[in-house]
Amino acid sequence: MQKLPKVGVGLGFQAPLKGVFEDRHSDVDFIEVVPDILWTDLGPGHTPRYFDDPTGLALLRQARRRRPIVAHSIGASIGSAQRFDMEHVRQIRRWCRRMQVPWHSDHLAFHLVEEHGRCMNAGVTLPLPRDRATLGLLVPRITAVMRCVPLPFLLENNVYYFDIPCAEMDEATFLNRLCHESGCGLLLDLHNLYTNARNHGFDPGALLAELDLSQVGEIHVAGGMELHGMYLDAHSDVVPDPVWALLEWTLPRCPNVGGVVFELFGSWFEDVGETAVRRDLRWLKALWKRTQQHDRSVSLPTPVPVTHSAGIPA
Amino acid sequence: MSLEALQCALVRLIADPSFRDAVRAGCLPDLATQLTPLERSRLESIAADRGLDVNRTLHRGFRLTKLRGLLPLTCEALGSRRLGAEATAFWQVCPPTSFYFLPEALEFCEFLASRRRLGKYVREVMAYERAHLELQRARRAAPPSQRVHFRHDPAVLLATLAAGRRPRSIPLRDCIATATLRDGEVEWQIEDTGPLSSAGTPHRLRSRPGALRSA
Repeated sequence: MQKLPKVGVGLGFQAPLKGVFEDRHSDVDFIEVVPDILWTDLGPGHTPRYFDDPTGLALLRQARRRRPIVAHSIGASIGSAQRFDMEHVRQIRRWCRRMQVPWHSDHLAFHLVEEHGRCMNAGVTLPLPRDRATLGLLVPRITAVMRCVPLPFLLENNVYYFDIPCAEMDEATFLNRLCHESGCGLLLDLHNLYTNARNHGFDPGALLAELDLSQVGEIHVAGGMELHGMYLDAHSDVVPDPVWALLEWTLPRCPNVGGVVFELFGSWFEDVGETAVRRDLRWLKALWKRTQQHDRSVSLPTPVPVTHSAGIPA
Repeated sequence: MSLEALQCALVRLIADPSFRDAVRAGCLPDLATQLTPLERSRLESIAADRGLDVNRTLHRGFRLTKLRGLLPLTCEALGSRRLGAEATAFWQVCPPTSFYFLPEALEFCEFLASRRRLGKYVREVMAYERAHLELQRARRAAPPSQRVHFRHDPAVLLATLAAGRRPRSIPLRDCIATATLRDGEVEWQIEDTGPLSSAGTPHRLRSRPGALRSA
């Protein structure tokens, strides 16, 4: 993984959270933006294809005066078997240059398919088979992204409500091999991991213990909710205690991490409350300072997989 | 090719309940014959997975959010039961093509326009919201002005819906509302055309979606 700067604590860009990320005294060091929502993509074959959203851009430009911007895209569908859209990657490059982002990321998943010549967008990120064939599909694409956009590139471990059965590899092995073979870094979404572990009944601590944490470039945390007996990565609440515990274990063991981002959908901001959001940001900042800004020569105990009920490594 | 077919099948499992039911019943439709034995077994297993229903709920919720977000008054005018029925019928013929809200909302307007017996006020409200969206559609040139023919008093009708109430007995008013985009804001001009026409000066209104008010 290419080296990332240590930026600190980030907040996902959502217009209703404007008051928090524009406040110079808040515990936000950077803003993470889904660039795709700040333009309209008319799709391949249209010229011009991309149209900026002037209102969103103006808001972001104002925010950027105070804090750096990091790009977290949703548009690549890097695991789509049919095609990989390099025009989208070039649009990401233009946008990253314009906003001078230190790194950019996308999701390790697919959402686009083509049937009878017509593109379909699932609207949700769907899992990929964890096998050699998928690595064979992804690695050249990641290489192409990194050639086109000369910045560190991270892929986020996906949330999945169904898994693809009969995997050749467990998730940690797959993620480790993906990072080592492609050169990309991992955006470790701990809330995705917690959601998957809770829904599919595995120990998130055991997975973390197997993961090469030196490949982690960024961490996401969030809160969720229950639906039909399953837990959702809904970005609808403050960070739950088990995710805090995962973060406290993980963060000191990630020597190359550039930042930790709290994700909350703007539509939930009023329900969650500004006080609670600021409190989580404050705790994140304190943890970041404690684990990433102090003496880094401190040796950490070797992670040991444990399987107690909370699923948190000791 | 095989992974392509599996991915198409996964998206169809989420978007198309009849396809999901066929796979659950062990009747793999045509697409599934393109899969390897491993992929067929994966598809059957996923079709029976309770997580699939969560994905389906999220998929439908996302599509419905697009309609409720950009066509709030049309949705209100339809009422929740009719909205559900129309949205389901729309999704059957129009698979989702992008993340973007606006093209899907416009497609839904087009779909609704082709439907019969929509309710007394739905077409007027839908035409009004469609005009707003057309003016905001991404394009190079300045958007052309939009004309909407109202048969009921638009100020009363839209204010009722914006307040979250079902419209009843809205006064008749035959008028043409013309929307133009000025400095990023939609400006409406209303001209009465029926026997109650207030001759000469048309009303000038500046409005945002859902907030057409009397001058």
